[in-house]
Amino acid sequence: MRRVFIAAAVWASLAASAAAQDTDQAGPIPITGNAPTFCTVGALQGADNVFDLGILVDTTTGLLLQSLSAPPKTLTGAFCNTGSTISISATPIEAQTLTGAPPSGHSDEVDFTATASGWTDVPAVFSTANGANPQATQTRATPFAGDIVVSIGSFETAGGSSLRMLADPVYRGSITLTLTTN
Amino acid sequence: MSFRLAALSLVTTLSFSGAAAAQSTQDFDVVGTIPSVCAIDSPALSGGGAINFRGLNGTTLQVDQLADPATLATRAASARVSFAAVCSFPHTLALESESNGLWRDAGAGVPTGFASAIPYLAELTWGPVTGRLQADAMSRRTNQLNIDIDQAVSGEIIVDLDIQAGASNARANAPLIAGAYQDTIRITLEPQ
Repeated sequence: MRRVFIAAAVWASLAASAAAQDTDQAGPIPITGNAPTFCTVGALQGADNVFDLGILVDTTTGLLLQSLSAPPKTLTGAFCNTGSTISISATPIEAQTLTGAPPSGHSDEVDFTATASGWTDVPAVFSTANGANPQATQTRATPFAGDIVVSIGSFETAGGSSLRMLADPVYRGSITLTLTTN
Repeated sequence: MSFRLAALSLVTTLSFSGAAAAQSTQDFDVVGTIPSVCAIDSPALSGGGAINFRGLNGTTLQVDQLADPATLATRAASARVSFAAVCSFPHTLALESESNGLWRDAGAGVPTGFASAIPYLAELTWGPVTGRLQADAMSRRTNQLNIDIDQAVSGEIIVDLDIQAGASNARANAPLIAGAYQDTIRITLEPQ
């Protein structure tokens, strides 16, 4: 009886040794990733990024036209994957070739208001006539995807509506729209 | 060990691309043009100081009594006429007397001692410039004053018309031969 017991024990030991050579284990290995905060203003629709107002004045009076307008421009596919801030800024529409101060009774600059809507409940609005534009920056706490519509309006002769505009073939202003992650 | 290296590499790549797009910007231009424009409105009698003028009828300024009924010599008359105007660029103002004085309509000859034309003075003010046009009635012709203005001007073109008592193209206080006397004044704003 004793012999039989020993032989069984040896066999069991050999079997255990063979199993350790066929499998191995490393780890646990943690796999981590980081989705970065990301914003894009999307794609601008239309032919270009230019708001073309044409002739700015009433040619019988020399005064700024009250009916100035230009179609809005749309940015499609804008998105931010986290809370974001939209801000808009603009520079007045200025005569590009004239130099020096305008003579009395005249102006070479047109103020206007630029508005970015669709991204936040309250549109971002910047008026070049204002010294401060607290409404130009708006934030939203959540990620968002959608279109942003940029429009211009409220054109005013810088210096006062009674001033006549000076002739110049090119008047130019600018608008900058920025989306930033919070 | 090889698994851990691969994971680290992946995290680094994502971090770089995230930093590059945390802000996105779109610029726009706003453009327009203002052509060279000059405009003159209809004339108006201004200042309230018109002497011996009936007033403006459209664009006609009529002297009330051209001749003194006792002497038939020219009576003094004066008026200020204004034109609202604007020129949005450096320009030239032309003030033209078509006949260089008030001339009688063509008719019979002028007897010796009578006058058939009346001189007058037109003085203008336009923005920073002034000018004088002496329509001396010495000959019937166009008489024009040109003034260059090297800036845009808006406001009123003011023309002061002055007919002196006794003025004529003959001697002073010569009697005026009967008839209708007239001249046409033109004011032009144009590019230099």
